[in-house]
Amino acid sequence: MPDSSGRTHGSAVAVTIAGVAIVSIWEFIGQRWNVLVPEALLHASAVLQCTLIAAVLGVLLGVLVYRSPAGSAIATALTSAILTIPSFALIGLLIPVLGLGVPPTVVALVLYGLLPIVRNTIVGLDGVDPAITDAARGIGMGRAVVLTRVELRLAWPAILAGIRVSTQLLMGIAAIAAYAKGPGLGTEIFSGLVRAGSANATNEALAGTLGVVVLALVVDGIYVIISRLTTSRGIRV
Amino acid sequence: MSETTDQKISGVEIELAEVTKRYAGQKTPAVDGFSMTIPAGETIVFVGPSGCGKTTTMKMINRLIEPTSGQITIGGESALKIDPDQLRRRIGYAIQQAGLFPHLTVAQNIAVVPGLLGWDKKKVRDRVVEMLDLVGLDEEFAGRFPRQLSGGQQQRVGVARALAADPPVLLMDEPFGAVDPITRGNLQDELLRLQAELRKTIVFVTHDFDEAVKLGDRIAVLGNQSKILQYDTPEAILANPADDTVAGFVGAGASLKQLTLMRVRDVELKTDLVTVSTEDTPADVRQKLTNARKTYALVLDRRNRPLRWLHVRELASAGSLATVGRPVGDTVSVQSTLQDALEAILTEGGNAAVTGGRGEYVGTIDIRTVTDTIQQVREEHENDHENSAGGAG
Amino acid sequence: MATDTAFSTSSGSKRTERIRLLVQPAVVVIGVAATLLWAFSRDLDDIEKNNINAESLLTDTWDHLKVSFVVIVLVVVIAVPLGVVLTRSWAKIAAPFFLAIATIGQAAPAIGVLVLFFLWSGWEGLWAAALPIALYSLLPVLRNTIVGLQQVDRTLVEAARGVGMSSPTVLFRIELPLAVPLILAGLRTSLVLAVGTATLAAFVNGGGLGLLIDAGYKLNRITILVVGAVLAMGLALLVDWLGAVAERFLRPRGLR
Repeated sequence: MPDSSGRTHGSAVAVTIAGVAIVSIWEFIGQRWNVLVPEALLHASAVLQCTLIAAVLGVLLGVLVYRSPAGSAIATALTSAILTIPSFALIGLLIPVLGLGVPPTVVALVLYGLLPIVRNTIVGLDGVDPAITDAARGIGMGRAVVLTRVELRLAWPAILAGIRVSTQLLMGIAAIAAYAKGPGLGTEIFSGLVRAGSANATNEALAGTLGVVVLALVVDGIYVIISRLTTSRGIRV
Repeated sequence: MSETTDQKISGVEIELAEVTKRYAGQKTPAVDGFSMTIPAGETIVFVGPSGCGKTTTMKMINRLIEPTSGQITIGGESALKIDPDQLRRRIGYAIQQAGLFPHLTVAQNIAVVPGLLGWDKKKVRDRVVEMLDLVGLDEEFAGRFPRQLSGGQQQRVGVARALAADPPVLLMDEPFGAVDPITRGNLQDELLRLQAELRKTIVFVTHDFDEAVKLGDRIAVLGNQSKILQYDTPEAILANPADDTVAGFVGAGASLKQLTLMRVRDVELKTDLVTVSTEDTPADVRQKLTNARKTYALVLDRRNRPLRWLHVRELASAGSLATVGRPVGDTVSVQSTLQDALEAILTEGGNAAVTGGRGEYVGTIDIRTVTDTIQQVREEHENDHENSAGGAG
Repeated sequence: MATDTAFSTSSGSKRTERIRLLVQPAVVVIGVAATLLWAFSRDLDDIEKNNINAESLLTDTWDHLKVSFVVIVLVVVIAVPLGVVLTRSWAKIAAPFFLAIATIGQAAPAIGVLVLFFLWSGWEGLWAAALPIALYSLLPVLRNTIVGLQQVDRTLVEAARGVGMSSPTVLFRIELPLAVPLILAGLRTSLVLAVGTATLAAFVNGGGLGLLIDAGYKLNRITILVVGAVLAMGLALLVDWLGAVAERFLRPRGLR
């Protein structure tokens, strides 16, 4: 491939899975740059905003139930059952209720994002050494202060790990949400599917898929940095 | 297998000649030219600080670690020429925390080696029952899983598994290292009992010198690179450590440890004590004491068992011998160790009554007997090193 | 309970699993029955009748299960042996490489992998769906096989060697049985991924319950869409439940 040898920016992933298409995929991305970039940004922003909502709800839920074994069990049972549901089925089911576009996408993404965060919040809070919380109470901290300044701080690495898993999960599910006219790179994939046989069908699907992979890896890298910056150095492993 | 072979030695001789283990990328060998002859049917204990190479040396015997050079002969056969898996099936192996397979029942764990050797099912089942009995576990343990057992019970199963195929040689790598001191003591007693019956060749690795003294027919004190600092009987090592390193390892109280190795029956008892029966009158006793020029006597009951110490002063106010005198607190039997005897001597105040098999009085032991015995052992071993230096090689 | 660093539908707590073991199938049965009653009691037009009848519902469910089954067989046949090979001392160096590939692979959206394979291969139907879905669902079993074998206590392996087991015997009698709980957990995750992703098989003419959802949406018939979605959900929850049952009863008894 004389053409690809000059393209030093070609990624290894693309070379191995793209095969024949490599000759034109970069040109295609070049041509559609002005469409792909906004789609990627929309994809990322949808995922990250929904992760944020899921994180707030998930941590809240975890904090509410972690002291009661029955509550914890019910919360994790419910959220893990939701995660079991095929995303295409849930999105399909939301269409008659919420219509197309952003609303079903947001609801589906938030629901799917909950389990890893709830589970890890409960596990993280549960894992805090009782001796430490006793000591905190002993030096005169109130319940709320113990929770926010001690327990949540110590459980943070676990919670963050849950948030990270949720984000990865939502990246893929957001692509399916494009079926219900949700925003993001899934649009390219479905458009490729619809136009199967036409010249740029494969390129569209490939651009959408690779775009999600790249986004997922970049965001994951950012999580690694966040976790290094926000984890107390005393509990870093 | 022949009939009633309890007393027969079932172990075989192991010989290691110039065995060396050199790991790639390390300047000094982990084990350097180790040579030793382990007599058939004896328990040899390797003791030494951690990292000295004692475990490496042991694992070369069953080739879990392949020696870089040297010869290993087990029962006259070169261990290095046999297929390692076949070799290991003929050598029992027990390790710290038992190493039981958690997904197999106790019976299945014990049956592993017989199964590998292709014994038929009935024979294996009988053997499992036999082994459980041998290590003192009820048959009901057969169906349990390792996690349902205490640490001590797991160790027993570990020993049963190691012995299941009746191997002539048993390798034990700190097998009692992870259990509490009381259980460890029991397991050690149990092993001594087993060994008295089975007479295997046992190579036992530990870093606990007291354990070595208790279990070993011979102890090999090892230094770095598995260098043999001293290889001798526990008595000899305690009486006369080869050098300062060994002495350091023996630790404080060598003479006290020596006492644990000797039994009251091995020393000469005193029999010059005046003994009287409860039926005697005070006047009889006074007469006996005057004749023997003694100031006190031991009152025995009708079966000759020691009852009370009686001082001549106490006779004056006494009407009969039924109640007078100071009760005997602590007696020792001829089976007791000298350490127990010393304890009794100290609590009784200079003299302890010794009893025989049925509790009957056979003599007394005093502090002099104990010190003399220690002195004697030391003198016996004083010249050891001139002799053994050539012998052990 | 362990903190979560990868996708899994297991809740990670024994108590929760016990609840799900009892409640999940009941909810599925009630939900599916109620939906079907509702759908069949409605006044269905011709289009709806074409899609919602016993025969086509059974065909779609059967197709869905077929894809899922082929996927899971492929996953087990590929991932477990690969995991075993990657934990042998002679191939250990390759393990991080394969895991990295698999992880990147899973970062790809399932729909993208499916559509791309369809466009490139030109295939359609069962295999066009099963192959890419298998690739996509591979990681949990692969990773858990590797981790499960790696976490087997080294002293146990040495004890096994010490009593004279050959290396294949150690693998089959000690290492693999001890890794079974983790492999089963991975299998349950893969199973859920497979059944979930099989709803997308409809896009490459692989049939399945996704067909009903797609038809309901495109033909603007909510009844069809709801029936398809509820059946797909029920199937996924049921399969997850089967996975949970398997996790509970297939693990060696001596392990907790």
